Amino acid sequence: MTVIDAQGLVKRYRTGGQTLYALAGIDFALESGEFVSIMGPSGSGKTTLLNILGLLDTPTEGTVLLEGQDVTGLGDSKRTRLRKQTIGFVFQHFYLLPTLTAVENVEVPLLLDSDPKVKKRARALLERLGLGDRLDHKPDELSGGQKQRVAIARSLINSPKVVLADEPTGNLDSETGRQILDEFRRIADEDDVAIVAVTHDDLVNEYVDRTVHLVDGTIGRERKNGG
Amino acid sequence: MAGRFFPAALMARRNLTRTKMRSLLASLGIVIGVVAIASLGMFGVALQYSFTQNLGNVGNQLTVYPNSGENITELTERDIRTIRRETSPTATVSPVKTRVEPVSYNREDAIRETIYGVEDPAALYEAKEGRVSPFRSGALVGSDVAEEHELHPGSQITVNGTSVRVRAVLEEGDPFSSTNPDNRIIMPATSFSQRGYSEVYVIESTGTQANETAMGIRGALNDREQRVVVQELGSLVDTIEEQFQIINTVLAGIASISLLVAGISILNVMLMSTVERREEIGVLRAVGYQKRDVLKVMLMEATLLGFLGGIAGVILSLGAGLAINHYAVGNAMAVFRLPNAWYVGAAFTFGVLTSIVSGLYPAWKAASEEPVDALRG
Ligand SMILES: Nc1ncnc2c1ncn2[C@@H]1O[C@H](COP(=O)(O)OP(=O)(O)O)[C@@H](O)[C@H]1O
Ligand SMILES: [Mg+2]
Repeated sequence: MTVIDAQGLVKRYRTGGQTLYALAGIDFALESGEFVSIMGPSGSGKTTLLNILGLLDTPTEGTVLLEGQDVTGLGDSKRTRLRKQTIGFVFQHFYLLPTLTAVENVEVPLLLDSDPKVKKRARALLERLGLGDRLDHKPDELSGGQKQRVAIARSLINSPKVVLADEPTGNLDSETGRQILDEFRRIADEDDVAIVAVTHDDLVNEYVDRTVHLVDGTIGRERKNGG
Repeated sequence: MAGRFFPAALMARRNLTRTKMRSLLASLGIVIGVVAIASLGMFGVALQYSFTQNLGNVGNQLTVYPNSGENITELTERDIRTIRRETSPTATVSPVKTRVEPVSYNREDAIRETIYGVEDPAALYEAKEGRVSPFRSGALVGSDVAEEHELHPGSQITVNGTSVRVRAVLEEGDPFSSTNPDNRIIMPATSFSQRGYSEVYVIESTGTQANETAMGIRGALNDREQRVVVQELGSLVDTIEEQFQIINTVLAGIASISLLVAGISILNVMLMSTVERREEIGVLRAVGYQKRDVLKVMLMEATLLGFLGGIAGVILSLGAGLAINHYAVGNAMAVFRLPNAWYVGAAFTFGVLTSIVSGLYPAWKAASEEPVDALRG
């Protein structure tokens, strides 16, 4: 099933009389359970694409369909609600709240809902990611890899259809990076979640279904892995 | 856990503990503001209270003086008869003569003192020592005079060269009353050679009655020329109470300035905090927090700061109130009177409101930041 279908995406920025194309016409579709990586040099538009796919940003031109629904022209409040329901985010710098414990950080997206089941689910997710003994630790008591696992658990708390990860291994050594990619692979397979990860790391090719190369806001050659 | 029922409060509370010192200093401003408003308010109340306590019951008294502005130096028997006609049947009317005489106590040098001549002092005064009536000779002395010169019933004073026996020492009077005898020497009116009177005291049963009588006397005696001045203590009391009200309002206004300063410091702290937490707030927005959710979390922080400062302020204010009332009224427990509760309550409310209002702008700023921009760093 196609989770996201983006057609003809263009993102223009006007800065001081000059027009800059961060995205210059991109088609991108994502099936559920698919693990896709986006690679490309710095400034090629990777983050911009990810933000548009994740309803954080809107394209200047083009359309985005989320589970068949056109979400291109939606306002901030509706996009925010859809993010909460169907999308998970993982960031390079983890962005955990330093004042909250691991479990509380995982609960954050649903914290205002006051649903008692959320805490149980947060624990289960952390245990599944191998952090059963770190549930009540604050972020500064965790290693980089552990922090990113907490962040992954947080991205899964709302049972999303898509997880978008912007350079999730960028701040980790290659061994820890592998473990994180391993987790993504498992999540895509076990939970049927579509995952898009931006990365510089060639290692990623061992784990993903396909890699999209971005150059100056356009899609370069695409390589499919296996089948 | 409180966080389960009020998750925004959990986040807000944790965020405040992150920068403990800064939060403490910010709410210290609120503490000072609340204490300033509450204790200045309570100070005003205590002043007013001790004033009314001292005033006692003088609202029903009138004093009629000859109008020196019209060159009238004394009131005649006819004036007195007119005054008696204008008063109600139950009123006490005491005409008073005065003369200035050299008086010496305990054979010391004579000082010139005013001697008051009252016909029936028992209608006005009670004795602390000795007896007021019958009063045909001798002198009655006020408590201050007696204390200063160590006079008791039976003591001798010398008035204009003649030895006079003290009959009684009088009870203290109301400090604001014109009949107050504390500093006076009183002798029988019959001992006075002049015929005119220098003032007349009228004591009615109620303040309203006193007011009517005053108008009656003015109407009867100031018809053709302004013969008399009628002083009503009741209206004086009203005027003074109004003054107190103004003073209280001004004091509370001055104290509010400290809350303004506190508000600015909270604004500053919250702005710093939104700048430092830009990415965190961006993440909250990314994972599905609506603008109003962010607003809620941030305002919750401001509210907590306000409550923290407000509660500490109320506790300190009660302490200050105990001290104020102990010294101004002589009864520390007088702090638990209704007007004080009003001031403390108002101070607390203003403290919390100030905090919330100061948090509005930073919260709005945090909420309206585009998550894309916040996360790009
Ligand atoms: N808010 C913005 N204003 C102007 N230019 C921007 C803005 N955001 C991104 N860009 C530009 O768009 C291009 C793509 O940026 P980005 O998607 O962040 O690239 P990548 O993530 O691949 O490094 C860059 O040239 C960047 O400078
Ligand atoms: Mg980027």
